This record gives sequence, C-alpha cells and structure tokens, in this order.
Amino acid sequence: MLAYFIRRVLATIPVVLMVALFVFSLLYISPGDPAAIIAGDQASPEDVERIRASLGLDRPFLVRFFEWLWHVMHGDLGTSIFTNLPVSHMIAQRIEPTVSLMTLTLILSLSVAIPMGVIAAWKHGTLIDRLVMMVAVFGYSTPVFVVGYLLAYLFALQLDWLPVQGFTSITEGLVPFLRNLILPAVALGLIYMALLARITRATMLDVLSQDYVRTAKAKGVAQKGILFVHALKNAAVPIVTIVGIGFATLIGGAVVTESVFAIPGLGRLTVDAILRRDYPVIQGVVLLFSFTYVLVNLAVDLLYTVFDPRIRY
Amino acid sequence: MSTSVIDAGGHAVAPTLPDVLPEPKRRGRVMGFIYRHPTIALGGSVLGLMVLIAIFAPFLATVDPTALAPAKRTRPPSDLYWFGTDMLGRDVYSRVIYGSRVSLTVGFSVAALASILGTTLGLVAGFTRWLDAIVMRVMDGLMSIPGILLAIALMALTRASMKNVIIAIAVAEFPRVCRLVRGVVLSLREQPYVEAAIASGTRIPVIIWRHILPNTLAPLMVQATFICASAMIGEATLSFLGAGTPPIIPSWGNIMAEGRALWQVKPYIVFFPAIFLCLTVLAVNMLGDGLRDALDPRLAKRL
Repeated sequence: MLAYFIRRVLATIPVVLMVALFVFSLLYISPGDPAAIIAGDQASPEDVERIRASLGLDRPFLVRFFEWLWHVMHGDLGTSIFTNLPVSHMIAQRIEPTVSLMTLTLILSLSVAIPMGVIAAWKHGTLIDRLVMMVAVFGYSTPVFVVGYLLAYLFALQLDWLPVQGFTSITEGLVPFLRNLILPAVALGLIYMALLARITRATMLDVLSQDYVRTAKAKGVAQKGILFVHALKNAAVPIVTIVGIGFATLIGGAVVTESVFAIPGLGRLTVDAILRRDYPVIQGVVLLFSFTYVLVNLAVDLLYTVFDPRIRY
Repeated sequence: MSTSVIDAGGHAVAPTLPDVLPEPKRRGRVMGFIYRHPTIALGGSVLGLMVLIAIFAPFLATVDPTALAPAKRTRPPSDLYWFGTDMLGRDVYSRVIYGSRVSLTVGFSVAALASILGTTLGLVAGFTRWLDAIVMRVMDGLMSIPGILLAIALMALTRASMKNVIIAIAVAEFPRVCRLVRGVVLSLREQPYVEAAIASGTRIPVIIWRHILPNTLAPLMVQATFICASAMIGEATLSFLGAGTPPIIPSWGNIMAEGRALWQVKPYIVFFPAIFLCLTVLAVNMLGDGLRDALDPRLAKRL
C-alpha cells in the first residue's frame, strides 16, 4: 500500500517537470525583450546588454529554467509587467472566488450527475434513460458561456430571482454567497454533469449485469441497497477517473464563467492578463491550474485503492 | 422454441408453415440507413446543412457582414434585419451566416491537423522503443495543462489570426490522438499477423500502411469527430475571451464577444450565434456518437 502510494507520488514528478518546462518556455519565447523594456528608448545597445547580463537573461535556457523553478518552489512566480506586483500576490488576492466557484460546482455536479446516471442505468431503455442521455448530449455540446447567458437571462433578468452578476464572499453570509454563485456553478457544472452522468450510466450498466448483483437481488436486498451500495461502489473507479479528467474542463470553464458573471477570480485575472499581454501573470495562472489538475489526478489515483483494494500497480 | 411440434407418436415434426410468408420489411437504402443509424443521419444532415450555409454564405447573407451603419445600430430583429443589428449597425443575420465559415474551417482543420500530428507521433512512439518513453512523457505534460488554458497561452504569444487559432487548439488536442494511435500500435504489434509480417522481413512502412493504419482508422475517425466539436467550442471560447479570431472576421465567438457589453438589454446579439454554434456542435457530437456505435460495437455497449 505504502509502496504504491510512494511510487505513484514519484511518478508525478516527471509530469510536473514537463508542465513547468512548457510554461517556462512560454515566457522564454514570449515577444518583447524585458531588458530593452527596462532600458527604455534612449538606451544604447551596450546598455541593453549590460541590463540583460545583470538580470541574468544572457544565460543558457536550462540554467534559467532551473533557477526559475527554484523560485517557483519558493512561491515566487515573478512580477507582473502591468501592475509591478508579485504574481503570487495577485493570485492570492483572486483565488477565493475561483475556489468557491469550483467547490460549489463540484458538490453540485456530483450530487446531481451520479444519481442521474444511476437512475438512467436502472431504468435502462425507458423514457427517463433517454431523457438523461439527451440532457447529457446537450450538456457537452453547449459552451459554458452560452449556458451562463441563458441562465442569467432566464433567472436573473426575466424572473428576477437571483442577481445577474457579481460575487459575495462566504464570510458575508451563506445566503448571499449562494445567491450569487448558484447560476455560475450550474452553468459551469452542466458539461461536467453531462460527462459524469454518461460515465456513471455506462459503468452502472456494466456492473448491474454482474452475478453478485443478481445474487443480491435474489437474497432480497432492497433495490436502493443494490444500486447505491453493491453496484455504485464497484462502479466507483471509472467514475472517479472521469471526475479527475473532467477537472480540466472545469478549470477551462471557470475562466469563461467568471467573465460571464463578472466574478473577480483567477479567470478574470487570466483574461485581463491576455488583453494586456502580461506574460508572467498568464504563466503563473497556467502553472497553478496545471499543478492543481495534476494533483487532483494524483488524488484520484490514490483514491482507487480506497474504492477497489484489488488495485495494485 | 416454437418451431418444433410433437406429433401423436412422440416424434418431432416440422411445423406447418403458412403458404405465404409475410413480406420481409423492405426499406430503401436511405431509409434503412436512417433507421439503423439515426444519430449519424441526423448529425450528418445538420452538419451538411451548415456546410452548405458556409459555402453559399454570399448568397444567403442579406448585406455585407462587415458593413457599418451607425444610424441603424442595435435594432431588434425585424423583417429587414432578421436577427437585428449590433452596436455598430452591422446585420447580425449576415454575420452569423458568415460566421459558419470560421467555425467549420477551424473545426475541420483542427481535426485534420491533430489527426496527422497525433498519428505520426503515435506511430513513432509505438514503433521506436527508446523514443516511446520520451514522447509519452511530453504528451503527459501537454495533457496536464487544461486544453483551453494551453490554447490561451499560445494565443497570447502570437498575433490573432485564424491560422494561429487552429494551431493553438490543435496543439492542445493532438496528444489524445497520439495516445490513441500508440495504444493501437502496441496492441497490434502483439498480433500474430503483425509478428509474422515482421518475422518475414516486411519493412516497417509497409507494415504501417497495410496493417496498422487500417486498424487505426475507425477509432481515429471517431476521435477526430469529437476533436472537431471541441475545436469549434474552443474557437468560440477563445474569440469570446478576446484571444481568438481577429475581431474583423465575423466568427460566432466574436459576435458573442461584441454582444457581451449589451447583452442585458439586447440579448439577441448573443443568442443567435449561440444557437448556431450549439446546433453545429451538437450535430458533430451526434455524428461522433453514431460513428462510434457503428464502428466499435464493443465501445457502444460501454458508453
């Protein structure tokens, strides 16, 4: 068990290094010469060279990469070109709304999509099943921002039940927090729900045809018990895998959702950084999101052994 | 088991058949295909319609999609302006019609580019053992960066143009193809007929052409269809965020991005292109689902 954990954790190191290398290359090949920008218009080529040397920009790629990596490991993501603030500082300011949004979306999606998938598998071939599958196909064919605008139009503008835009911190009370965040969470969660409902239905269909399910049925276990105890536990591994892989969709979608609902999170920070070509900020956010994604999938892999103790690599 | 009938002596005899067997249900080839593969038929026809719209855009559009008419800005949908006009007075209907060109071009080009890139690298990884580990680690790294973020980052490096959008999305999508092709190659290499071909000295390119590629085609087609759908959403998302197709080109994402500022009062500017985008993506996804069911019955059962 412990050996598996250690091996799995070690296996993420090359992936993390690869991600770091890509993200660093991004800044490395980004247009605009920082030395020339700092030196200003009046500087002679010699001055630019001197500044370049003093910044260490004339050293080889790999040397700079590992130095940058060293800084990143110490929480230093560089300085924004636009605001001159440390990128880590800017990220820290913006992280709360994004984490809130993604957590709520995750809770919402899991609690809706998994029962939906289970019921679709149980009622296989019926109208309910078809309906769930249809909603799922629509769900992953509709871009997040379209769902966002549609929901905001219906529930905020037409019905006036919820605020159109904005974000309230959870420290100011649960109700205003949820009122602001429920539409973005549903918009962001739809594609994720579609993915999860489909995979839940598919694996449950597989599991429900197993012998032990028939045995459970024969010995008189209640339907609910069979579905949610016997079957779902054995269907957990593929479902959890999709929870992990689908997290990438959630990250990408969060960037868009925050733009639609004017949520001042990391997504907004990214979009603003793109418009200003603020490469260190783009780099920092991409790095953070990618590391989160890798960690989520590491956690998923480690969870496998909890759901299915037979798994040993 | 209704076919065997027992006679008085206990012997089984053939049941008497009616003189005239009921006519087997005959359907035309087209109707038969629609009946067997409803999702392919429906998805394919909607996609075909969109392709026609894209090709005949100059004839379908009522006015030049980039023509400014400041005096007629933000008109609601009417007889004259079917989908209304945007804040610069441009006709939204004509823009949406022309927008189909961008989405389809990006979708198909990304699917083709990602397939070619992914297949090539997948074949290399599958056949060259020492390169395999390196290529696959690079793919793992690329796949660890959420696709749309990678595309955003790449777009931030370059000028906004349709070519760059295609490349950026293709870079984010091709590792999936690479993994798929490599997987097929690795499993095929164990097949006796491939081993026999290797043992009898067939050159690798010939093996690839004769044995590997034909077996890759079915899953590749399915994957390419889904990549096409996700590239269309990707282009719209990038344009919507202001990092995609240059604003001068009317793409569905751009129209929506421009409608953003006014969407609370003039929601139709956002919703008309959105409907077209969703319909097209839905059609491509249905086509992909149908193709998967038709080409790989094993997968069809699972998903």
